[in-house]
Amino acid sequence: MRRGLMGWNAEELPKAALEARIARLRAGMQREGFDAALFYTNLVQPSAVTWLTGFTPYWSDGMLLLPREGAPVFATALSKRVANWIRTTDTLSEIVNTPKPGAGVGKRIADAGCKRVGVLNYDAMPAGLYDEIVGAAPAVELADMGGVFADVRRTIDDAERGLIARAETLARTALDLIDADKAADAGEVAGLVEKHARLGGAEEAYIAVAPDLDADRRLIRVAGTLPLAGRFAVRASIAYKGAWVRRVRSFARDDASRRAYADADAWFARVASSIVPGRLLDAQLAERLKELSGASLRAAMAESCIGSYPLEAVTGAPVAGGFLVLTVALSLDGIPWLGAAPAFVRQIS
Amino acid sequence: MTVFTDRRERLLQEMAGEGLDVLLLYGNAWQNDYLRYATDFGILEGQALAIVREDGITLYLDSALEADRAALECSGIDVVHAPDLLGEVDNALNRLSNRRIGTAPARLIPRRLAARAKDLNLGDRTGFLDRLLMSKLASEVDAIRRACKVADEGYAVFRDAARPGRADYELIAEAEAFFRSKGVDDNFQIIGVGGPEVRGMAPPSGKKLKAGDMVTTELTPCVDGYYAQICRTLVVGEANAEQKKAFALYREAMEAGIAAVRDGVTAADIARAENEVFRREGLGDYVTDQYTRVRGHGVGLFADSKPHILEDVTTRIDAGMTLIVHPNTYHPVVGYLVLGDVVAATKDGCEVFTGTARELFSMPA
Repeated sequence: MRRGLMGWNAEELPKAALEARIARLRAGMQREGFDAALFYTNLVQPSAVTWLTGFTPYWSDGMLLLPREGAPVFATALSKRVANWIRTTDTLSEIVNTPKPGAGVGKRIADAGCKRVGVLNYDAMPAGLYDEIVGAAPAVELADMGGVFADVRRTIDDAERGLIARAETLARTALDLIDADKAADAGEVAGLVEKHARLGGAEEAYIAVAPDLDADRRLIRVAGTLPLAGRFAVRASIAYKGAWVRRVRSFARDDASRRAYADADAWFARVASSIVPGRLLDAQLAERLKELSGASLRAAMAESCIGSYPLEAVTGAPVAGGFLVLTVALSLDGIPWLGAAPAFVRQIS
Repeated sequence: MTVFTDRRERLLQEMAGEGLDVLLLYGNAWQNDYLRYATDFGILEGQALAIVREDGITLYLDSALEADRAALECSGIDVVHAPDLLGEVDNALNRLSNRRIGTAPARLIPRRLAARAKDLNLGDRTGFLDRLLMSKLASEVDAIRRACKVADEGYAVFRDAARPGRADYELIAEAEAFFRSKGVDDNFQIIGVGGPEVRGMAPPSGKKLKAGDMVTTELTPCVDGYYAQICRTLVVGEANAEQKKAFALYREAMEAGIAAVRDGVTAADIARAENEVFRREGLGDYVTDQYTRVRGHGVGLFADSKPHILEDVTTRIDAGMTLIVHPNTYHPVVGYLVLGDVVAATKDGCEVFTGTARELFSMPA
């Protein structure tokens, strides 16, 4: 559940940026013959609606209808009292409070004479909402529009870049607070990182820990007291105004591991800041790994925001002007190391 | 036996009693109670589906990070990382033909799977799970009792953080840090800061506390999967006479509601007991949905569990059910005000789990 800072700030997210995004999407909709588009949102799948309107639900769910023209319509079962709060973060949409949001948007698309409507994540749409929509608009053809949406999300604009940068600063500075020599308990470390991020205005913070990297490099959400071993890693997944990043840092208590980690951190920072478009990440990592003596790649993953999830695994070559979160697991002459960082893919000059 | 093994054993017994061969359960970080009942996994990112059979439980997760975590955090179930979540589950369901398969919560089951209701013999069994979720085992009630203790401690941290000049989100940051260090899985929390202009609670917006402000919060930590809630109001500086008078009314309403809780009453009876106090004072409008949502609700594996405490909800309250009674609403003179405690219904009344004083707290201005 979201309980961090939520709000709209015109300097961070100008209305003009939102309008430009909507215009880009409408152009894609027109190319694919969609008369309107539907986006389901909840706090797990908020990102499409956040990108289009600035609004993220802290609770419950809703449906955004983007017609070919005019204001978006946000239908939700949240009460009219909550509509006042929604308006503080979504200044573009008409807010419709209804116990049946699907029926609400279904009636709108039927009344507007829509014939073909695109739905993001059509297969995964909640059955209850789907039944309401087709009940109200039985003649309308619904079809998945994931491709159209992902296409307009391949590159990020300046507003999104600014929000991501703020989230990245929160994550990085929070992890900087960890003192490997003093850190003894995973729960305390998680609390320290989360507190810093939230005091800095994070909308959300998920902290996970691998308490003993030598035993297991997988990260867990800490429940209760858990001692930290000589080598451990902490992941901070941080949201700021709907923009998500992850950072993972590895920590060691012995000098040899610490030196190896410092070298790996520096290498990873160089890699993350120089991802080039058009070439598969695996190939880029393999090439760059030659710069780090004794290192071998154990695993790698790239994530981005291309649909309704804040971050999801992506494959294929990076796109110029795109955004990734890169997660890498290495062995450094037998010492396990984990790292994750956001990366802005270079523009082609 | 852990609370989870207790739950799983009960679930399988009840499924057999209902003639159900298989359950298909959906969960995400918002609505996770159905999934958690059977798997004990507290999902944060992505979505999950679980297939529950007599001979085992399989949890499918579309997030690699969450699948890693589930494999470490959940015992006695099979965890599958399924990037193509619907495709994997579709295939798994194909192997279960000619079985009676129940789904819950039916409204959130992905459309593609729900569309196969006829050929897979899928039926909506949300009500069946709702009954299990509401009617707690003794070990579940114990877990909620423990969660209430953490809620009390968390409110003390929140209260101590309230100082003039601090932003609303900073108070929540302090509470969250405390919860993480205590191993709290999750927390639902909203806040209100100000006076008569405040008509409800919401996530923090950056508003800074000043002398005279009322600070309302509903704080809902999750311990071992079980959410406990506490609602309290504090004033920055000394409370004025109107604030004190209003608070006394809310306290009377909450205590009237708590006094009504016992085995055999309905949710409506509890709501009515709370609301009569407001009506008696000519404030009946303020217990309608124009100003308030519910007069309490169940507590358990979801932060806003059934039954909702409303005058039109006739769900019977049984001994062992756990509820929060909270007459939270807008007051026309002082603004939105909250007060709520968690109780467990007993044969003759109820046991109150939250222990924070029922005071309008006053923090130095």
